[in-house]
Amino acid sequence: MSTPLKIVIADPSPIIRAGLDVVLKKIPGFRISLTEVSAFDALQETLKIQRPDILLINPLWVHPSSFTQLKEDSGCNEMKCFALVYTAIDPAFLRFFDDQITLFEHPDEIRRKLERLVSAEIPEETDSEDSQSLSVREKEIVVCVVKGMTNREIADTLYLSTHTVITHRRNIARKLQIHSASGLTVYAIVNKLIALEDIQTKG
Amino acid sequence: MYKKSKYTDTDKMSDLICDNYPMVLVMSRFGIALGFGEKNIGEVCSQNNVDTDTFLTVVNFLIEEKAASIDLKQTRFSLEGIITYLHNAHDYFLNFRLPHLRRKLSEALEECPQDVAFVIRKFFDEYADEVHKHMMYEEKTVFPYVKSLLEGKKDPKYNITIFRKRHDQIEMKIVELKNILIKYYPGNGSHLLNSVLFDIFETEKDLATHSLVEDYIFVPAILELEKQ
Repeated sequence: MSTPLKIVIADPSPIIRAGLDVVLKKIPGFRISLTEVSAFDALQETLKIQRPDILLINPLWVHPSSFTQLKEDSGCNEMKCFALVYTAIDPAFLRFFDDQITLFEHPDEIRRKLERLVSAEIPEETDSEDSQSLSVREKEIVVCVVKGMTNREIADTLYLSTHTVITHRRNIARKLQIHSASGLTVYAIVNKLIALEDIQTKG
Repeated sequence: MYKKSKYTDTDKMSDLICDNYPMVLVMSRFGIALGFGEKNIGEVCSQNNVDTDTFLTVVNFLIEEKAASIDLKQTRFSLEGIITYLHNAHDYFLNFRLPHLRRKLSEALEECPQDVAFVIRKFFDEYADEVHKHMMYEEKTVFPYVKSLLEGKKDPKYNITIFRKRHDQIEMKIVELKNILIKYYPGNGSHLLNSVLFDIFETEKDLATHSLVEDYIFVPAILELEKQ
């Protein structure tokens, strides 16, 4: 299952940017969309439009004191910032960044850094083997959704709180990578969770 | 996979197409047909009354495969040309690509159980409806707005930011269809079904790049125009 990640690379060197582009796109497990910024002037505007998950930035571009300001001005408070380190730089300076990538970083190491970041953001993600298949409860909920029931109705039928139903639905969408009710219908029919007649009489 | 250099008006049109075959779609959306012989891009464009700069702007933007707003101050292109391009792309998706995919999918599904075929077809139809709505909004609301803006008429009730905010990713749902077929398709696979899957991958990519042109060339140009 690939995780979507929006990354902005901010560095004046076209070779560094192109190199990162190639390395990042080869990392399995992520669907990475990249935007490059070659001039400092364009940074804020790009951040505003892109709202990236991660900013990879040449540390000489931002003074640590203006860092939070930049995040606020561009509305990207959640954004993580990685320093692109390929010149000698004061380590005290780097403390302001969430992480760093050096010129000689191995792609596996970059992958670990991205994974660490993503797993920190999605706490309910479990790495057990069967995390892709649905639990009995989740299957029941799929059937209800396919029948066109609202979260409230599902909660009442299964004696759950609506909050729990919503959590289940989120987990189902994450596991199956199916978000729409019509997509779930296909899943339910294919896996014989429900018969076609049961849905058609409803609609 | 493709050659990624920037193209100029003196490069041969046939080189562009051979190096980057998806550009054949771009070309046809600008109203240029095949069979241009040894002519260069500039010549082919002017022969077809296409603004060369606009054509090159789109081509080079797509070849670079980088989601970055182009520098409006350094690129010259005609907004009318972009609208024609987008309009023809809509026509292609709605009147050719999706119906064609629908026919092929239906045929491929003949092998699989009736009820499954039914729900997959239904899923596809809902998806096609969504794309239709999405594109018709642009055709009926956005394009007329931009055309009158180009004539110097401002609409106090509308601006392009409204569009930018509601411009959702239409390729997301086709990703779902792809996932469903790959992970859960119950029948025996067939060459035809594989071919449908390839078409879906292509359509997904094509829709994604279509949105990129809208988000990174079309919308920024209109934002600029609104400021004037």
